[in-house]
Amino acid sequence: MNNDHISNQIRRLRFDHGEMTQQELADKVGVTRQTIIAIEAGKYAPSLPLAFRIARTFNASVEDVFQYQGGDGIVPDRSA
Amino acid sequence: MNREQKRAWAIVISMSLATILGVAAFVVHLLELGSPTLLVFAAAAVQGTGVLVFFRFQPDKGPIAFDERDKQIQKNASLAGFGAVYLFIILASFAPIGILGEKGSVPVTSMPFLLVGAGLCQAYAFFVAILVQYGRGGKDE
Repeated sequence: MNNDHISNQIRRLRFDHGEMTQQELADKVGVTRQTIIAIEAGKYAPSLPLAFRIARTFNASVEDVFQYQGGDGIVPDRSA
Repeated sequence: MNREQKRAWAIVISMSLATILGVAAFVVHLLELGSPTLLVFAAAAVQGTGVLVFFRFQPDKGPIAFDERDKQIQKNASLAGFGAVYLFIILASFAPIGILGEKGSVPVTSMPFLLVGAGLCQAYAFFVAILVQYGRGGKDE
């Protein structure tokens, strides 16, 4: 089973950037408000281009905005 | 709620009601309780209204009405629809054997109705999958 999860700091970053609303962020990155809500809630993992656009909006790196919670990222060697 | 959700609700509600009315008409016909004509017309009217409502929803306001998540949801819903058709074909292939027995026969003129059934099954699964994936929405901030 895949336990990968991506958390994010979008909510905090929005408030740090002049209490930006979800609609304002959505308009800036070119998606609907529902998509921003889904990303913030961790229900939708954005595409890489969208993740970069969100990060760029906050003048941050992608890893400042999104954190991978799925372990060390190393696939175990099963050939042995 | 966006336009796709409103459209999906219109179809799911009308199809569910039409199916209930259709089953009621079939039961009335089977048990010879009277003429099922009125129920059949009611089912057709409900379904027709649902389709009309489907086309009446205006595009969402705002600069972006459809994005990558909506596209992904549509794609997954299409897969669910095709899965439902596959299950329907399996059921339609084996159900007559179970109901009529190995020596039973089915008129060949009933075969085209399988296409109609498969289409309705695909549409229902598609719109239910859309509603499930969008979920209950979220808090507006």
